[in-house]
Amino acid sequence: MRIHPVKRVLLHVAVVLAIAVLAFPILLLVFNALKTESDIFASPMGVPTHVTWENFRLVLFESSFFVNLRNSAIVAAATVILAVLVTAPAGYALSRFRFRGKTLFSMWLLATQSFPGIIMVLGLFTVLNTYDLLNTLPGLIIMHTSFSMPFSIWLLKGYFDKIPVELEEAAHIDGCSRLRSLVKIVLPLSVPGLLAVATFSLLLSWNEFFFALVIMRDNAHYTLPVFLSRFLGSGGVVQWGPLSAAALLVSLPVFILFLLGQRYLVSGLTGGAIK
Amino acid sequence: MSRSASVPRRNFDQERRALPFLTPALLVLCMISLYPLIQGVSRVFYAYRALTQETVFVGFENFQLLFQDPTFIRAFSNSLVWVVTSVGMMFLLSYGLATMLNSEHLRLRRFFRSMTLIPWALPGVVISLIWRYIFLPNGPLNAALSAVGVAHPPTWLTNPQLALWTCIIANVWMQIPFVTIMLLAGLQAIDRQVIEAAAIDGANYLQTQLHVILPSVKKVVLIVLTLEAIWTFNSFDIVFVLTKGGPGSASMTLPLYAYQNAFMYYQAGYGAAIGVIILLILLIAVVFYIREVLE
Repeated sequence: MRIHPVKRVLLHVAVVLAIAVLAFPILLLVFNALKTESDIFASPMGVPTHVTWENFRLVLFESSFFVNLRNSAIVAAATVILAVLVTAPAGYALSRFRFRGKTLFSMWLLATQSFPGIIMVLGLFTVLNTYDLLNTLPGLIIMHTSFSMPFSIWLLKGYFDKIPVELEEAAHIDGCSRLRSLVKIVLPLSVPGLLAVATFSLLLSWNEFFFALVIMRDNAHYTLPVFLSRFLGSGGVVQWGPLSAAALLVSLPVFILFLLGQRYLVSGLTGGAIK
Repeated sequence: MSRSASVPRRNFDQERRALPFLTPALLVLCMISLYPLIQGVSRVFYAYRALTQETVFVGFENFQLLFQDPTFIRAFSNSLVWVVTSVGMMFLLSYGLATMLNSEHLRLRRFFRSMTLIPWALPGVVISLIWRYIFLPNGPLNAALSAVGVAHPPTWLTNPQLALWTCIIANVWMQIPFVTIMLLAGLQAIDRQVIEAAAIDGANYLQTQLHVILPSVKKVVLIVLTLEAIWTFNSFDIVFVLTKGGPGSASMTLPLYAYQNAFMYYQAGYGAAIGVIILLILLIAVVFYIREVLE
């Protein structure tokens, strides 16, 4: 189809404008991290005139950044591993077996996405308390895993559906168990799906705020999002320079991983919804 | 072992064999969602009495109190505005952006598509902090407004008429990448020949949109918007960081008010009652969502 040259230019202008609106706030964050506190409000939109690394120094060496980073890293890594271990077999079961309660299981799984955080937290307090998991990282890991499950199981089921059953049947005749054929045949063919699940779970865990805030009681157990929110204090003065530097440091690792895993995540997300 | 494999299609012991694969997921589901749900909901029948420092059974008292509580009423209506306008704006903006990104006349399509996703990778707290800075009385937005000649730019975060809207803008901005990518995938799945056929039949742009394109992406649109409505209704980070529900209760939403009651005022039962109201409203959305997905 043809298009008028003016329309073509307008199309590009509109897209660039939209991207600018999406990128500009992030650019502000980068600028602020490199500005002095007085500079930040002297020219709120401007490029930093005298670049300073003081904000980063403050965050890295005079705050609890590394303690919280360690917590976040442990929780996120464990969530990713646990999510894959739990969701791959479940996705396989949904894809390959017929069983009673299959629809019920699927419905329950989808419904968990909507349960209000406050109800879950109040209920979980008792559970976590019983198992001594309150104010511990394992408690948060299990919760993040459960948040990742609906999407991840669904996505993997979709991937497994596309792998011909015949591939496995041959192996079964040779005496291969179901678990072995999942590990040896199906999973190696589903690497993009597994990467999508890993990226999704990692982003989810690294960014999750509400449960991390409510379950933990002291700074030694807080994850990075809670660490960031504590810069706001209770009505006091906010130090925007160090805060921006900290926000940038918190975002950077996931941002890089996101760029790497983006392709898989997007195809995983959209594949499930379009089919 | 091989005996089961020789009859792969009709297996009556499939249930027995599916169970081990499902067990880990079932365990996590029961521990983290079924039991807490029951436990959490049961809290609504109890209240903490500061005087005697005891938690006592109060029946439906928490619900009766809710409907006389002006802050709850405000949070309830705010939540509705928050969800409806957020999701509406998300859809309009993302649909426009997705349509442009899908245009065959756009150069560097891949590059632009990746750029669209950027906000998605940032933690919600970081996004909320950026927007809090943008809306400060002496922040970038007001600096820009002053520069173009607005004499008295508003104090966004502390103005009762504007506070909720600042949260809505931040929320829409944050969710545009996800909605756009999903809609774009839906648009890409449409056969271009169908659109060309419509053009040959003399359909104008609006007719093509309404009668060819929108019906083709209906399912994706419904799933994505329902999911977004659920997420937005449950959303906590943005309002917590931007306005804490203030000034007064001008931008209070139900999840934040439930949190404040449960964790700041030590009224877990009252907080749980608000949670149950949220749950009941969301159940409607969930039934709809499950039907669309499982269909």
